[in-house]
Amino acid sequence: MTSRGTPSRFLRSVLQNGLGRYVCQLKRISIIFSKTHPSSLGVREYIEEGVVDYAKKNPGTVVYVSPQTSTVPKIVAEYLNGNVREEIVICKTPQQISELFTKLTSQSGLDIIRIRKPIHTDSPSIQGQWHPFTNRPPSIGPIKPQKQLNQS
Amino acid sequence: MAASRGLWRTCSLVSSRTPLLFSTAVRPHSSLSGDLVPRTSLSRPPWPQHTSLEPQEQEAERRRHAALVNTVNQRIQQQDIGRLFAVVHFAGRQWKVTGEDLILIENHIEAECGERIRMEKVLLVGAEDFTLIGRPVLGKELVRVEATVVEKTESWPKVHMQFWKRHRFQRKRIIVQPQTVLRINSIEVAPRLT
Repeated sequence: MTSRGTPSRFLRSVLQNGLGRYVCQLKRISIIFSKTHPSSLGVREYIEEGVVDYAKKNPGTVVYVSPQTSTVPKIVAEYLNGNVREEIVICKTPQQISELFTKLTSQSGLDIIRIRKPIHTDSPSIQGQWHPFTNRPPSIGPIKPQKQLNQS
Repeated sequence: MAASRGLWRTCSLVSSRTPLLFSTAVRPHSSLSGDLVPRTSLSRPPWPQHTSLEPQEQEAERRRHAALVNTVNQRIQQQDIGRLFAVVHFAGRQWKVTGEDLILIENHIEAECGERIRMEKVLLVGAEDFTLIGRPVLGKELVRVEATVVEKTESWPKVHMQFWKRHRFQRKRIIVQPQTVLRINSIEVAPRLT
């Protein structure tokens, strides 16, 4: 199985993030759950325990808590570049949901697809492209035909 | 132009200053070409090689080295060295980085998002006119490479498939591993070359 046919992108960041200061890319996160259904029990526990702490720790993120009738519990994360990620949290424990929150917060909202190269640089060469005479001491003088090798 | 020609290669002697080390570092092939490598047209450089130096030549070499180090230190102090690049050992591999670069690390690291970290294993620092090569690592007081953790994410789900033909054997594993994106903020050199 090769991965060449899969969608891919190059490594980048949203709007040169981190050059000046770092901006958390998660803009809005909403928890959609049911008040009665047992599959959203962990979400309800997390709302009681951890949501307020999370919202206090991340002042740049808006947190919505919306109870709805007879829906699957899910977390909808919206990022500054406009991408939206939905995570379904059926029968998850509060611990797992808290880990999911930290993961969504630390991501940047770019697509999670194959990344072609692990580096990105805007200035690929500083000393110029290498050629066989790079760093050759000028005391040697110009290249001459090799007489010794030709004779022997 | 003459100054930049004179700076064709610089070795940093941060820990110990021995004049002979410089001359051996310039020609690393001199000890190798005896038995290990068969003698071909490529086994040694086409120019004549000097193995041992006369004492006067040693003195001249030492003076040249001192002048070189002085020139590089002055350049660094005047801050007209332009953009720097560095080779950094991080996460088990070597990265050639300059300022404003992004690098992707296939693992999670301890720092949180937005934290600044300092990369301490700097193997090489280069400007347009000179290069400082560590042996193996440049000193912490000489070079400072800083990076910011920009993103901690997960890789795309990689499919790891094993298949043994005619044996009714197949295994499929889907691997998702943590990834970290770092932004290189600054590379700074202090004029403390000796």
